[in-house]
Amino acid sequence: MVKSNDDLRLCIVFSNALAWRGGIYLVIRKAADDDTQFQPVAETAVPAAALHDDAKGPLLSIGKKILTAGISEAQAIERAQQGEGESFETLYGMHKRRVYSLCLRMTGNTAEAEDLTQEAFLQLYRKIATFRGESAFSTWLHRLAVNVVLMHLRKKGLPEVSLQETLEPSEEDGPKKDFGANDQVLAGSIDRVNLERAIESLPPGYRIIFVLHDIEGYEHNEIAEMMGCSIGNSKSQLHKARMKLRDLLRVVRAERGAVKK
Amino acid sequence: MITEREAIAAARASAKSTGSSKAMNCAEFQRELPLIIDSGGSPEQEKHLRSCAVCRSLVDDLRYIAEQAKLLVPMFDPSPRVWEGITEKLQQEGLVKPFQARRS
Repeated sequence: MVKSNDDLRLCIVFSNALAWRGGIYLVIRKAADDDTQFQPVAETAVPAAALHDDAKGPLLSIGKKILTAGISEAQAIERAQQGEGESFETLYGMHKRRVYSLCLRMTGNTAEAEDLTQEAFLQLYRKIATFRGESAFSTWLHRLAVNVVLMHLRKKGLPEVSLQETLEPSEEDGPKKDFGANDQVLAGSIDRVNLERAIESLPPGYRIIFVLHDIEGYEHNEIAEMMGCSIGNSKSQLHKARMKLRDLLRVVRAERGAVKK
Repeated sequence: MITEREAIAAARASAKSTGSSKAMNCAEFQRELPLIIDSGGSPEQEKHLRSCAVCRSLVDDLRYIAEQAKLLVPMFDPSPRVWEGITEKLQQEGLVKPFQARRS
């Protein structure tokens, strides 16, 4: 726990710190008045490169930068609902990374992701008065952003999920005779960069389901509802996405092995 | 449109009719894999998995990919253009007064 210049009691929580080799993920929380819980104030990913030179300095400076707004998310929501522009800017600062990362991973295109992030926050501003707190604000905003992306993809005519698809596997989904029992499993051989690249190269329909389920944590029933397909269809697409990723990542591993030799 | 419950029932019925007296083969196991990989399979499917290195390797890989994906944090930042576009649009619509220019 550290104290800021404003004498706020703060707790910095490290999430996925050990697992994410690219750096650490910070959630900064402020103690509630009654000391019983810590409310999230801001979150940010800190790349490993920012930590190497001086482990203390960069962390604290990032914390101070985020906290210049000095208000909690709940306060920012309340003020934004009353039309206060600066509180909306605070909310944008808190959630832009998560929304943009979602848009980028779902579309695989920087320009489209920026346009969709803009559209998601515009819709947020127009709809924030209707937020009643039944779900967490981040969950509500996230769902809004997913809907913006899906609507965009429908307008573009890109296939999300083939409605004709059944659970019958195609030939390419059958047993892989070329992957023998002696092949090494992938465990330990995937790094974040290669996984991100492989996801980006997935066909749009597979990529969307994979991002929603495996990265963003939506359940199949939620995905089915959002995309207007069956739960079985969502499971089938997810399976095909993982199979395709497996193929892509095995190629990457084989190429790495060839370079070493 | 086929429901999940119908699909599972059909897959189980198919497995019974084609292989009730013999062990499940790789094709049968992998046909049902999309439905069971995240939830666990029947005793017959688990038995096949224990005895088949190819299917075990496949399941291990697919679960490993899913585990690694969960660790992908939101780490991409939008360019300042996005916020500029938002404020411009909101001001055009008359929804907010001009924002103080705090971001570059």
